[in-house]
Amino acid sequence: MSETAQIPVTVLTGYLGAGKTTLLNRILSENHGKKFAVVINEFGELGVDNDLVVDADEEVFEMNNGCICCTVRGDLIRIIGGLMKRRGKFDGIIVETTGLADPAPVAQTFFADEDVKRATRLDAIVTVVDAKNLPARLDDSKEAAEQIAFADIILLNKMDLVTEAEAAEVERRIRAINPYAEIRRSTKSEVPIDAVIGREAFDLKRILEREPEFLSGEDDHEHDSDVNSVSFEVSRPIDPERFNAWISQLLAQKGQDLLRTKGILYYANDDRRFAFQAVHMIADGDFIGPVKAGDPRRSKLVFIGRDLSRPVLRRGFEACQVDGTPSTAQGAADGHQA
Amino acid sequence: MSEAEGADFLFDTRGTGRELGAWVVSLACGGDGTFGFALGDGTVHLAKPGATEWQAVAAHDGAVLALCPDVKTGFLTGGDDGRFLRIAPDGAVTDIARLGAMKWVEHVAAHESGVRAAAVGKQLHLFDAKGEKLKTLTTPSAVAGIAFDGKGKRVAASHYNGASLWFVAAKEDKARLLEWKGSHTTIVISPDGTHVVTAMQENALHGWRLSDSQHMRMSGYPSKTKFLSFTARGKWLATSGADSIVIWPFFGGGPMGKAPTELAGGDGVLCSAVACHPQHEIVAAGFADGLVLLAEIASGRVVPVAAPGHGPVSALGWNASGSHLAFGTETGFAGIVDLSKR
Repeated sequence: MSETAQIPVTVLTGYLGAGKTTLLNRILSENHGKKFAVVINEFGELGVDNDLVVDADEEVFEMNNGCICCTVRGDLIRIIGGLMKRRGKFDGIIVETTGLADPAPVAQTFFADEDVKRATRLDAIVTVVDAKNLPARLDDSKEAAEQIAFADIILLNKMDLVTEAEAAEVERRIRAINPYAEIRRSTKSEVPIDAVIGREAFDLKRILEREPEFLSGEDDHEHDSDVNSVSFEVSRPIDPERFNAWISQLLAQKGQDLLRTKGILYYANDDRRFAFQAVHMIADGDFIGPVKAGDPRRSKLVFIGRDLSRPVLRRGFEACQVDGTPSTAQGAADGHQA
Repeated sequence: MSEAEGADFLFDTRGTGRELGAWVVSLACGGDGTFGFALGDGTVHLAKPGATEWQAVAAHDGAVLALCPDVKTGFLTGGDDGRFLRIAPDGAVTDIARLGAMKWVEHVAAHESGVRAAAVGKQLHLFDAKGEKLKTLTTPSAVAGIAFDGKGKRVAASHYNGASLWFVAAKEDKARLLEWKGSHTTIVISPDGTHVVTAMQENALHGWRLSDSQHMRMSGYPSKTKFLSFTARGKWLATSGADSIVIWPFFGGGPMGKAPTELAGGDGVLCSAVACHPQHEIVAAGFADGLVLLAEIASGRVVPVAAPGHGPVSALGWNASGSHLAFGTETGFAGIVDLSKR
């Protein structure tokens, strides 16, 4: 009776004028039989009559847990607490953020607050971008790149205003920042609702299920944004203790620059896959079921962030393999320190 | 509770209960002895003393977010429809104020001296007993809890980075800011008006001794504390949030440097609500499995009241004489137990 499913939450980000409100109106007015509670910011304008609209204040505060970048949305904690008292009256929650908002505090709220974590699950971060104006936004603001870096789904909107060549260039810039997000092209935010709702992008079972849309490979390509991504694959099994020690230290030291981290790990002597994700310093991980027959067992780790040193991160990850320490005698499987 | 297993539960012989069908957000006892249960579906259910029928009142369009006893009789409620209401003992609903579309009236309070309070966002509105607006006080960030002192002369509001304290009748509304970094939620003022205590986001309590602004930090909780309740004369502060009732001594120099006492613990189930008896040093506690019990502070003796199974206890409260205890749960069960001598 008290065991009720967690309510899915979709976070909608994007610059003012990109088409966020149009998308929201579309989600709310389409006849899909679902009811959403909507948390909007005070500057939002919603044309749809919905009795579950909450006007939020975007109060960001720091958690007193020692990490300086661990900020959460205090208003969301209160609002979700209030909405839970109306459980059963809606199927999902949509949180719209202001155009200039950093998505991190919103995302972190769903991992840092025990009550929110128990009642809800983050479904996906959807970023709406204006195909025409995104290049200018990327040049003049850091939030635009952050919103793309955090996104699971990017709605490349206002396609009617750009040529195919311009669209391809915008996509290239998006993928240089975040090759793992799914890009949906649209005009007037017209997309099927299931393209943005019910995506389970933060479900550990689905981490890195998607292949990147732009394979950057191992060679450094040109970056035109200070936010970009790097990914690594290793073939030998991972030593869980080494990995935990390394990733904990990395997130603690560099968490401010690491916007999102995702990984699938194959531990030595374990027939299960381990999935890992982090938003800045807040990490979450669990086993996600048995290794399937024929699985090449290549552990994979992806970082999206700022000032990422590919060689340093690669060396760090490679050293997490059971026999990854260069001076360890070959065949040693217990992973003692070099 | 190991003590409670196989025990007779008072509710089975002396209780009356209802499945109300929505989250019991809060409960209170009005001046005439009527219990009011506020629900997540916007209704308030009134149980008059001795009445066999409970009255359902359609109060808010949405959820009731807060409920308290009004100045003399009846109740005040706040809802996510932006309304601040009075509910008379006969169930009549009147608007005291409409505080904004899409705004939530998340906290309400009243004092028998004739002052009422409702918080919306960063604003704390004060009204008199007739419903006239007295003033609007502003906090640096959204109000997360409000409390009057024992005499109704001061009102306190918790928020991010501390709490604010005002004199209700002051000509100039300058708050005394009680600062402490972090997000402060539930707030209480000790019955003698000497201490303010808040629960925090970080599974800890923070307190201020008002005479010298001495800080008090009370930590070690495995989850957030949502209920703070002083015993009648303010000797102890009972708290939820641990797998026992944690009570802090406010005497003999405490709680600074003193360890808290734990009552009715030991089975790993979180205490989700506490309410101190209005006269005796007895604490009523509700747990996440639905268990309700009484614990006597001096002896540590536990008396089982209601068995687990009705859902996590989300509301708990006494009538003024302490003869009746009411409880409500997240899954919509509400009960009243008659504890008077027979």
